[in-house]
This record gives sequence, structure tokens and C-alpha cells, in this order.
Amino acid sequence: MNLVLTRIDNRLIHGQVLETWVPFVKADCIVVANDAIAGNQLKKMMMQASVPSRMRVEIGTVVDSVALLKSSQLDKCRTMLLFGTPADAVRAYRAGLEYKQLNLGNLHADKWQAQLSCTLFLDTTDLADLELLDRAGIKITSRCIPADGERSWRKLIPVVKGRN
Amino acid sequence: MCLFWHVIFADVAGVKMTTIPRKTRLYIWFRLLLLQASWNFERFQGVGFFYALLPGLRKLYRKEKLLEVSKRYTGYFNTHVYLAPMVAGAVLKLEEERAAGTSEPQVEIADFKEMVAAPYAAIGDALFWGGLRPLVAGIALFFAVKGIFWAPVIFVVAYNLVPAWFRTVFFVHGYRRGMRSVEFIQQHKLPDWAIHTKEAAVVVLGGLSAFMVFSHLTQQQLPSWLGMLTLIPMVMLGLVARKGVSTVLLIFITVGSIFLLGVFWVDMTKLITLLGMEL
Amino acid sequence: MISGLTIGALIALMCGLDRVAILQVMVSRPIVAAPLTAFLLGEPLVGLQIGVMVELLWLARLPVGAAVPPDDTQVAIGSSALAIILAQRLDTSGIELILLCLLVAVLLGKVGQYFDHFARQHNVRLAKQVDDALERGSLLRAELQHLRGLGSFSLAAIVTYATIMTGGLLLVPLLLPLVQQPLSYSSSWVQLALPLVGIAVILGTINVSRAITLFCASFGMSFLLMWLV
Repeated sequence: MNLVLTRIDNRLIHGQVLETWVPFVKADCIVVANDAIAGNQLKKMMMQASVPSRMRVEIGTVVDSVALLKSSQLDKCRTMLLFGTPADAVRAYRAGLEYKQLNLGNLHADKWQAQLSCTLFLDTTDLADLELLDRAGIKITSRCIPADGERSWRKLIPVVKGRN
Repeated sequence: MCLFWHVIFADVAGVKMTTIPRKTRLYIWFRLLLLQASWNFERFQGVGFFYALLPGLRKLYRKEKLLEVSKRYTGYFNTHVYLAPMVAGAVLKLEEERAAGTSEPQVEIADFKEMVAAPYAAIGDALFWGGLRPLVAGIALFFAVKGIFWAPVIFVVAYNLVPAWFRTVFFVHGYRRGMRSVEFIQQHKLPDWAIHTKEAAVVVLGGLSAFMVFSHLTQQQLPSWLGMLTLIPMVMLGLVARKGVSTVLLIFITVGSIFLLGVFWVDMTKLITLLGMEL
Repeated sequence: MISGLTIGALIALMCGLDRVAILQVMVSRPIVAAPLTAFLLGEPLVGLQIGVMVELLWLARLPVGAAVPPDDTQVAIGSSALAIILAQRLDTSGIELILLCLLVAVLLGKVGQYFDHFARQHNVRLAKQVDDALERGSLLRAELQHLRGLGSFSLAAIVTYATIMTGGLLLVPLLLPLVQQPLSYSSSWVQLALPLVGIAVILGTINVSRAITLFCASFGMSFLLMWLV
């Protein structure tokens, strides 16, 4: 397992990931750990169609993805792992996946309570999940694209807004 | 006969027509040019997409039903501007089908939007922003460096050929095929085309750099082979840029060093001549 | 001078909106915006030179998703307008003035990114008002909220332009006497270097494997052709 980037991005594979992060970390394999996409053949196909064919894409449930990453199949790849929500990241951690850093890209909780940056809207469960991962020693940083500065999620003061 | 029945009594259910007239579709296409007018960090193009489709929805639904349908559209949505017409076309078709109630929708419209938005965005970003723009800019700059005043016009016309085609043809295509419009994207391997475009852009930019360096050296009456040395600082700058150093910093470092070198060079030449005269 | 500033402001508005809000036909690119400004101010060549220098600098910064790239449109328009207006006022000309205006605009243009940010943040409010309008059953009001977003983007463009112009008109006359003479030794090299920096940044960040190899091969090939033929 050679994880070059672990990222939470509710849009999963999109322009930011493919156009900025892939060349930046020189990834050649993307693992998408998302139950909803894995369970829908059409969504899975669409997502695969947006990636150039020279890159390897593995879309699976969180459990399957963790198993895949722990196996030796992806040893030769520089892998980028994408989660849709902090909850999935916690599940992967509990399933025994070891990762040292976690990048926060885009998150759009519907009933958000806190805004960490212009693209990070978190609700209370998200905050609790991140807290848990942080305690586990994972370095959580917010960085939308490589050209942005990297900032620890703690340093971003949550703008708590009572909404709805 | 069944359809006729449906149209007559459609009003009762808040449904009006079953197809969107051509004129309205044209109007929607024009409104799509304003897709990002209220772009914001929470909904992205969501409100714009609603704004563009509203004339169509008005033809299909009325009163309470129209409001109810509208509310479904104002949420988060984001795709590439040039591919949004294709999504809009397909969504209009799906709305027609839903309003007519003739066929059970294969997927929910909201699901369809969500499903295609991110992949289309990824494809569009790679193809247009990442590939086409540098390619055409590189070509247009050849003309600009030569001092041809038409260079900007060449850029705008040459660049817009492809987006204009995507914006118009695929709007129609999306409307005709509805859900199945995604097949085009799946079959044609557009991400690979994006890579080819980017490779072409790199080659063009290589030629452009060589051209600029060569003309400059000729102008300064310096030996041409010196130009090959430009590759060294350029590759170094490229590697530094890869690390995420900001462009503004690179500009000021480069300009600063050239400036200081220039001053130093002139001073040295003066000093040497001065010393030569002393001796 | 006033008419020059106004013409610049109109172009800043038009091209600024093309960046995000409407059309996206790329009249916002520096290679178009700078010559257009300069053409309307009567010095097309200045615009072409600035266009070449600025176009490639931030071309690698893609407007992907919520990422806000630096505002190269206003840098191009601002530096063109500054260079032409100041050339008349200071009764000077030459590439040194153009370069100084450009460098000052590059520095001040950084604010463009922040104003763009504000506009997009401000528009969140409009989205909420759309919800309210629909709740109250007014579709027309909901529609109008969308168009109000044009106001935020226009304001962002104009304020960026105004910042560059004000700063430039104050700073450039002060700095020019200091650097004009020493800059004249290296001005043509700086003019060559700026587009090359842009190309280098593109090479460093473009999503093509072996971009540098490809570039070097193309560069070497073209160079040899021009040299030997």
C-alpha cells in the first residue's frame, strides 16, 4: 500500500482531484471508497468514464476498499484514496486502514453547523468524526487544491451558525 | 387516445403540456449562458441551473406543482459550464417524461443530475481548461509575438469553436436522448482526448518558447546556441512550481535576478573599461 | 485621463463578468483583454506586449470547482491602462514603463482573488433569498435573485480594477525614476522571461506524464530548425 493522498471530498472524482492533485502527488491509481456509488452500476460507470484510461480506478464500498488497500494488489501504484464523508473515513480507520494524513477538500453538509473554509460545511457529526480521527494521531489539514496553503483543521476557527 | 385524455385533464393535476416548445428550448439555451451569474460557495451553479430551466418548467407544470418542482432545483449543483447545456437538455427530457407520466422514470431526476454533474465537470475541466485553453493560447501567442494585431481575434475564434459545438449540439443531443445522452461520454473516451490535447499544448508551448528565445537572440545579435541554455532555468522553475510555489513569487524572483544581473553586468563592463583605460 | 480610466473600467466590467458570471467566451483572457483595452486607448501594440507577458502566467491555475484563480484579467487590463495613461502624463515611453506598470499590477492584482471570494461568499445570501421567495410562492422574485449575482461579480471586477489603477497611479510615478535607468539594461530580457515563467509553471502543474521531456524535445527540435534552416 502506497497512499500518496487521503482526501475527503463529497464530489469524489472531479476536476480538482484529476487536474490538480493527480499531477501534484503523481498518483496513478484512485480508490473511491463510497457505498452509494459502489452500489449503483450506472454511477460507477459514469465516474469511471471521467478518468483517463491510463489511470487505474477502483470504486468500492468502504469495507471492500479497505480490504483492497490492505491486500498487496496496489503495492506498485501510487494510490489516492477518496472518501465522501468524515464518517466513511472513520469507518475505514476502524476497519483497520492505517493512514497518517487526511486532506479536507469539499464538504457540503445540508444542515451545516460549522464552516471551516469556503468549501467546507460541516455538521456536528462531521466535527465529532474529525475529532476522533485527530485523537487517533491522523494529521488533518484543509487544502482545496495544491496551490492553496495547507492549514490544520484546528487552526480554522469554526464559524458556528445556528441554521434552520 | 390515452395521451389526448391526459392532456385535456392534465390541468387538474397541475400539469400543462407534455412537450417543451422549440422556442422555449432556445430561450433556455440563452439563459444557460448566465448559468454562473449567482455562483456561490454553498450551491455553486444550483440557482443558475434553476434559473435556466424555469421557462421549461413553466410549460410543464403550473401553480403549486410548479413551485414544488422548482424547489427541487435550487439545491447544490455544479458541472462544467460548457457541458451544462447537455445536462439541461437531458433533464428537460426527463421532466417532460415525468410530467406526461407516460413512462416511469428510470432514475430520479435529482439522482441523474447528481450522477452526471461531477464526471462531466471532471471531463470538461480536463478538456477545456487543462487542454484546449493552453493549446489555443500557445498558437495565438505565436501571432502576438510576431506583432500581428489579429492575435486576440484568432484566439477567441479558434478557442470557441469547440465549446460552441459542445454547448449547442449537445444541448440538442441531451434533449433528444434524455438519460441515454450519457452514452456519448462513456463511449468517446473524452478524458483520453483531454490528455492528447494537453500533450499537443506542451509541444506547442515548447515551439513557442524556442521561437521567442530565438527571435530575441537574433534581435540582440547574440550567438543562437545560447538559447538552448534557456531550458535549464525553465526546467528548474517548472520543478519549483510543481512543489506549489506561487507564481507571483516566481515572477519576482526571476525579474529580480535578471534586474540585478543587468545592473551587475553593466557595472562590471564599465569597471573593466575603466581599468583598461588606467592601464 | 478620466476618459481613459472610464474606458478601462468598462472593459474591466465586461471582461470581468466573462470570467465566471456570463458567457465564458474567454474575452477575459489577458491576450484578449489587454489588446482590447490598449486598442480603445489608442496604443494597440502596448496591449499586445502585455497580453503576451500575462497570458501564460496563471494559465495553469484552472477554475476547477470552488477554486478561485488569481484575477489575471484585471492585471492585464489594469497594466495596459496604466502604461498608456502614465506614458501621456509622465511624457515618457518605452518598455521600462510597461514592465513597471505590469509588475505593480501583478502585486496589486492579488486583491482580485479576495474580492472574487467575497462575491461568491456574498452570493450565498442570494441562494437563501431564492428559497424564501419560493416559500412565499414568488417565482419571479426567485429568478431575479439569480441576476442580482451579476451585481456582486461586477463590483468585484470594478473594485479590483480600481485598486490596481489607484495603486498604480500613485506608485509607478514614484518608482519609475528609481528603476528606469537600471531596468533599461535588462528590460528586453524581462520581457522575454515573463512568458517563459508562465510556460514553466504550466509544465510543472499540467496533468501530463513526462511533460518536461515532451517540452524539451519540442523546444530543441524547433530551435534547431530555426537555427539551421
